[in-house]
Formats: sequence, C-alpha cells, structure tokens
Amino acid sequence: MEFFRNPKIDFLGKRHFFKYVSFVLIAVGILGVAILGIPFGIDFTGGTEIALRLSKPLDIAQVRAVVAQTEFARSEIKTYGAPNQFLIRVQQTKGAGEIAAKLKEAFQKQFPDLTVTVLKADVIGPKVGKELRTDALIALILAVLAILLYVSLRFEFAFALGAVLALVHDVIIAFTWAVIAGQLGLVSLEVNQSTIAAVLTVLGFSINDTVVIFDRIRENREIHRGIPLVELMNMSINQTLSRTVNTSLTTFLVLLVLTLFGGAVLQGFAFIMLLGIVIGTYSSIYVASALTIWYIERRKGQKKVVAATAT
Amino acid sequence: MRKIGFGTYVVIIFPIIAAIWLLYPTYRAWELEKEKEQLAQDSAALAQFEKEYGETLRELKLRRLKLGLDLRGGMYITLEVDVIRLLEESAQRDAIDEVFQEVMNKTRQEAEQSDEAVLDIFLRYFDQIARPKGRTLFSYFEFGDVRDLTEEDIIDRLEQNIEDAVDQAMEIIRQRIDKYGVSEPSIQKQGGRRIVLELPGVTNEKEVRQLLQTTARLEFHLLRQNVEIVQAFAQVDELLRQEQRAKESADTGSPRATVTAQNPIDTTGQQADTAKADTTVQSDTTNPYAGLSDEEAREAYRRDHPFTSLFVTYYIDRENNQYVPIDYVRKNFPEGEYYFEILESNIPQFEAILQRPDVMRIIGTDYMIALAAKPRAETEGSPQRVYPFYVLKAEPELTGEVIVDARATFDPTTNSPIVLMTMNADGAERWARITGANVGKRIAIVLDGRVYSAPVVQTRITGGRSQITGLASIQEARLLEIVLKAGALKAPVKIIEERVVGPSLGEDSIQRGLTASLLALAIVVVFMVVYYAFAGVIADLMLFLNLLLVLAMLAAFGGTLTLPGIAGLILTIGMAVDANILIYERAREELYKGRTIRAAIDEGFRKALSAILDSNITTFISGLILFYFGSGPIQGFAVTLMIGIVMTLFTVLVVGRSIFQILLARGVQTINLGQPKIAAAK
Repeated sequence: MEFFRNPKIDFLGKRHFFKYVSFVLIAVGILGVAILGIPFGIDFTGGTEIALRLSKPLDIAQVRAVVAQTEFARSEIKTYGAPNQFLIRVQQTKGAGEIAAKLKEAFQKQFPDLTVTVLKADVIGPKVGKELRTDALIALILAVLAILLYVSLRFEFAFALGAVLALVHDVIIAFTWAVIAGQLGLVSLEVNQSTIAAVLTVLGFSINDTVVIFDRIRENREIHRGIPLVELMNMSINQTLSRTVNTSLTTFLVLLVLTLFGGAVLQGFAFIMLLGIVIGTYSSIYVASALTIWYIERRKGQKKVVAATAT
Repeated sequence: MRKIGFGTYVVIIFPIIAAIWLLYPTYRAWELEKEKEQLAQDSAALAQFEKEYGETLRELKLRRLKLGLDLRGGMYITLEVDVIRLLEESAQRDAIDEVFQEVMNKTRQEAEQSDEAVLDIFLRYFDQIARPKGRTLFSYFEFGDVRDLTEEDIIDRLEQNIEDAVDQAMEIIRQRIDKYGVSEPSIQKQGGRRIVLELPGVTNEKEVRQLLQTTARLEFHLLRQNVEIVQAFAQVDELLRQEQRAKESADTGSPRATVTAQNPIDTTGQQADTAKADTTVQSDTTNPYAGLSDEEAREAYRRDHPFTSLFVTYYIDRENNQYVPIDYVRKNFPEGEYYFEILESNIPQFEAILQRPDVMRIIGTDYMIALAAKPRAETEGSPQRVYPFYVLKAEPELTGEVIVDARATFDPTTNSPIVLMTMNADGAERWARITGANVGKRIAIVLDGRVYSAPVVQTRITGGRSQITGLASIQEARLLEIVLKAGALKAPVKIIEERVVGPSLGEDSIQRGLTASLLALAIVVVFMVVYYAFAGVIADLMLFLNLLLVLAMLAAFGGTLTLPGIAGLILTIGMAVDANILIYERAREELYKGRTIRAAIDEGFRKALSAILDSNITTFISGLILFYFGSGPIQGFAVTLMIGIVMTLFTVLVVGRSIFQILLARGVQTINLGQPKIAAAK
C-alpha cells in the first residue's frame, strides 16, 4: 500500500498564508485561556478533592443539594468522566478519608438505595502545590533549553532556532486549545502533573517530526549543492511526507483511542497529546522550516546590506 | 553471500529469553494469587496452599512487576518534619519564655507562606526580637556533652536534629507499618525533610493517621531471660495442649485436617526451626518419640508443643561460651540465662497466643516480651528472616526523656563504632543507681515496643555519659543514635500531602488503560501489516518484543507500572513504529531507484539511523528532565518512556536488523515492503 508516490507539493510556497494561521491559533488560544482561566488541579493549588461514584447517575443539582447539607457546603462540584461520577472539591484540608466517609454517608442518607464508592480522596498542602507548580515549570523550561542545545549541536543554529520556536508554538497551541476544550466541557481536563507530562510529550513529538525533516535537508544539501533553500526544503518535506503522514496517522489513532476510551484520568492527558500531534506535524513544515528560511534570508539580507554600504 | 555469525542469532534469541525469564515471576505470582483467592472460603485448603506455595509466592512477589497505587488502590502520604515543633522541643523546657514564644509565633506565621527554610526564618526573627532583649541561642538551647559551643555549633546541631528527625520518623514508621501488616509498603526519604509513604491496599485513613502521629516511647528495660520464663513457656504449651485435646474429644471422628485448620496455633511450615529443636531431643528424660521416623517425630513434637515449637530456645552456657538449643520435652530446665529466636513467618501466630488473657496470666504482668527491631544480620536478605525476641522486666528502669543527646562515632583507641549517650542531671543520678545494681546484666533499649540493642552493663556509670560498644557497623551505631534521640526529641512530623485511591478506581483505570492500550496496539499492528506487508509483520513482532522488554526491565529494576506509565508505554508504541516507518520508507525509496532488496534494506537502515537517533535522543532528554523534576506519577511516566526509547533503539536497530540479515543470508530474494507493483517496473 502507498499513500504518496513521489509527491511534489509546494508546501513552503504557502508559508506566508500559514503565518497568519499560526498567529490566529496562538492569539485565539491565549485569549481563550485569558477569558476562561486555567482549571488547575489541586496538585498545583493545594486543597482537598474527593471523587465519588454513584450506582446511578444523579443531577449535578441533586448532588449539590446533598453536599449543601453537610459541613462541606462550600464545595465545588463537577462531573468526573461519567455522569454518575463526581468530583467534589472541599475547603477543609484535614483527613481526606474522613471527609470522603462523611460525604458518602450524606449521600446514603438522602438516597438509601444508592451505593456510593469512593474513587479517590486527595489532600495536598498549599506549599506542596506551589512547589509542584514551580518544579513543573522548571522542567518545561529546562527541557526546551536542553533540546535547543542538542539540536544546535546536531544542526546549525538557524535550524535549532526554527525547531525550538516551532516547539514553543506547538506547546502553546496544544495547551491553550486543550484548556479551552476542557473549559467548554468537551473533554474532562484539569491542569495537573499529568498535564505537564502530556505537554512534555508534545514537545517530544514536535521535535521528532522536525528533526526527521531537518535530517533530510542536511542530507540533501550534500547531494544537491547550490539549489535554493526553499526548493531544498520543499524537496525534503516531500521526500519525508510518507513517513510524516504514516507516523502521525498511527500516533493520532492511538491517541484518539486513548481520548475516547481512556477514562477520566487518561482523557485530558491523551487529548493534549492528540492536539500536539496534529499541531506538531503542521508546525514542522510551516513553522520550523518557514522560520529557518526567514532567519537565514534575513541574515543574508543583512550581509548584502553590509556589503552594499561597504562599496 | 554474507556470512551470518552465531552472534546474530543470539541477538534475536537472547532478549526473548531474558524478557520471558524476567516476566515469569509476575505471571506465576498472578496465577498463584488467583488460585489463593479461589480458596479464600476454605481455611483448610488455604492452609495447605500456604504450606505448599506460601514461600514461593513471597519470593515471586519480590521479583514481580509492581503496580502503582493509582492502579491497585491505596494510600500515598507525604510527611514533612515539623521544624517549628522540633525547635520548640529542642529548646530547654524551663528556658522557654515570652520572648522565645514571640519569635516562634512570628516564625510560624511566616513559614506558612514562605519557601524559605524554617530555621532561617527562625534565626532572622531571633536576631530581630530576641537579641535586642539580651537573649542568645545559649539562653534556650543546650547540647549536653560539648562544653564550649559557639552559636554556629548550635545552629549546626539544630540542622542535624532536623535531619535526624527524618531518619527517626522513618524508623518508627517502618516498624509500625510493619506491625500494621501492609503488604509491600514503600517508605522513602525525599530530599532532606520529607518522607513519602506508599501503602497499597490501605484505605482506612484514620487508622494510618493515628499510626503516624502518635509519638513513640523510648524505654530502658532489664532483661529477664531466666528459667522462670522458660517454665512459663512450657506451661503455655500445656494449656494449649489440653485445650486441643478437649476439642478433639468433643468432636471425635472428624478428620484431622479440619482439626488443625480450626486450631488457632496451626503449625504448618515450621520445619526450619523445629528441625533445630529436634536435634536436642536427647535430653534428661527418655525420648517420648523413640521409634518414630524423623518426620513423624517432628510432627508429634509440634503437636505436643504448640507454643514453644514456634521459636527456638537456647541456653547460654557461660562456661563453654556456647548457645545450647533447648527443647521442651524435658521437665527441669537449668538455671541461668536464655536466648530466643523466631522465624518471621511465625511471628503473627506467636503474638496472637501471647495476647490471650489466659496466656498472659501464665506469663505474668512482671514480664514483657519484645521483638528485636531488626532480624539477625545473616538472615536479613533471605526470605526466611530470623528475629531474636527478648523477655524483659515489664517495668521500665528509665524512660527516654532524660536523654539530652546521642552520637554515633568511632572509639579512638579501637576504631570500632560506638554510640555516646548523654543524660541530664536527674537521669544521670538514676542511671548511676540502675547500672550500679545491675553490673554484668543486660539492659534493653526499647523504642515503640521493639528492642534495638541490649548491651551488657560493664560498670556503674556516673555523670550521665555512657558509651555503648560492641556494635557491628557504623550503620548500626547510626540507627541506635537515632533511636536514642527519640528520647530527647519526638520527631514531629506532619502530613502535607495525602492521596487515597479507592480500589475501584484502580481497577477501573487498569481496565480502561488496558483496553485502550490493546485497542491502540491492534490499530497500529494492523496498519503496519496493511501498509508494509511482510516487513510490517517483522515490525509488529519487534513491537511486541519491545513492549515485553520494557515491562521486563521495569520488573527487573523494581520499578512500578502506573497509569502515566501505561501512557508512556503507548508512546513507546508510537516511537517504535516511527523508527520502523523511517527505515521502510527509506528502503522503498532505494528500491524505486532500482536497487536490490539487500542494498535497499541496508541503505534504509543506514540512512534512517541519524533521524531515528536524533528524534529518540531528544525525547530521551525530555524524559530525563521529567524524571529529575517531576514527582510520583510523572516519574513513572518518565521511567517508562526512557526505558521504552532504549528498548526501541535496541529492538529496531539491532534485533530487527538481525532478522533482515538472516532472511537475506538464507537466500530470500524478495522481501515484501508493501510497495505497489508498478514500483519495480519503473
């Protein structure tokens, strides 16, 4: 089987158009997050969270009514992966298990025929939350820097710059759009430690794709000396297109399965990666390559200007 | 034709065998546990099962792939040393005044918000508030043994105390969790001040909380391992024997199997120590088991001595400096000192018997029985660990509050590890009296009901400064130091993070994680075969091997599989497939250029190499960073991801390559890479 035979698509010819697409994606993403906010999990904020499963689905209003009668009246309540599962974030910060037991009791009193299962009960001190948040941010920044360093060693700086900017582009878009989808209730998503792992994985995908194309460019440059950069890049992208599509497609399918069937815990995680794989594939062509061209041409331009003024 | 060396086959076969060998314990343990579960209703069968497989199962469990708390349910707790309380405890009780309390209050307020080390905050406020009022650190802190301390020394000591508190809390918690009976608990130190506890299967948070937060008691007890207690043990045997006979006569005719099963002192699986006891059956009385075979004699001895056959009793023969094993067939026991040892697996039963009120009456309230905190060193690593236990005078001679300081160090003359212990004035006075009255006897150091050491009193100790010698290693000395400090300092720890995963969520996650993974795997496998035909089959085989190897490595290095770990595994599927796709695409290109299949495949591997390495290394780098900066679940993901990358490179570049080489060397002319037919015509 074969999807492409010797494709000759002029990808980079349309790079100026996609510049705007990228801008719009980033702008909408950041704006959306600014308006809707980031749903931090208690990993990062500290707090207490209890997840309950009821033997039959209840209205969130009914759940609220039950919780309101307890000492945990000021709790936030939302569904957790399924209509009969609820996440209750209470204010109290002592004794997760005891709080869970009390809530369970309250439900059973109100609905005697209901079986209530405690799925999880977490208490995280505010200091721990702050630390985890800092650590996650450090990890993210360090990972980007380490990749920049590695790619600069393996390729030239112009390529490394393109690759890393594409990386940042992907991380921003995947994260913000996932958050928006989460806030609109399309997926169950909470920004916690797993989210950071997902974002770092997006980083991996994104660099992976870019590196494969750049590797080909490096190789082609040795074989076809003297052809213009844009043409060289187009040729390389076309040559690796089969691989790009196949890999992205298989990974996409894997992540789609995970998003659809992974359950409450895996869903958000998989969804970010799913967005990441789509954006990562796109960006290795239109962001990484396009930015590298832009940077090299700009440098050349400056040299020409310098040369012109010198004469 | 290229020669294919023996090595090429080894490269393929070895990882397969290794993976199976490393994963077999996991499979076998799972199988045995399932069997055990089915027997849960039938106690006789369960006892039989325990006898036959109990040991094997325990051993297998050590080598199997462990599941994280998120998959099996349980409690995850992070404890932190409460530095504020520790500072309060370190201060001289009668020296604490309003000034000190004001400093503490300010410190407490700020510490809640700030990231700064609590000790630094304290010192800052101390300078601000206490010093202008003429106070120095000397006003509040005193560390017995050193006369001319500087302020820096005091700060160093406080720092040291904070660190020791972590070790101390860990030691106490480990013992308690052990007693509580959690299977496979994990207790780890995180950084300098934190302890991370993972208790699989435990959901009763209230009990665990109590367990962690009640303070431990340090006491000094005199040893009383005399003939009186040995006689009492013999009486316990008698009591249980009578009870058993009464039971047997009550339901005569019932098969023996059920009798042993109902018997609370079932004695299955104790061959090891009764065998020892057996060797001394030739004693003062005539052997009641004469004429029986060894096996039968052992069985009969166990039946007749349901209590004392649980452990081994030694008589300490001072003249010949020998430990002589003693049996309970004899009626008169020699006067003198005894020594007892018990197999770890017999401890629960032993303790259950000791807790019976009628048994307690026989032992008497003057005596107390305490297990050693650590097994005998030689048996530490083995699955059948042996613990000494001590019979003590129930009334403690002294409690730990009198201890001011303890330090592990080396004796300057002999260079052997020692522990120096300093007591306050009140303690010193009592200590002199106690040691004076008991020269030549042993005093046990008991923390939380466990004996850490039972040194012999050499002389009367005046001045409150004692030296404990005869320790096997500096580690042992360190442990004793920490234990002794528990007297001066009740390691205050607080829970700062606590997660309870209900067993149903764990099950649910496994189910979903597994279903999703299998489905994802199926999609990938089918895609590869459809797109790359025969080469796709090879890629799929490598993928399976890869996944097996990742799991095997996790099991081998004692890693745990968590939910994010499963995600890491799925990512590995993606990476592995990508590597194969890169190679096959490259090989196809070469085919289109008219190369032979051999050249095409060689070129495919050669040219794809740099892209595969670069992309995997960059992902590995992010995995590494994740591992160092992440915690708990994220680390699980990072570990699986990194192992996955290494295994991907190995399976695809080494094993996969070898398979192609063998195929080609065997004269295979075409390998179907799934390219359309027109390609060849071009």
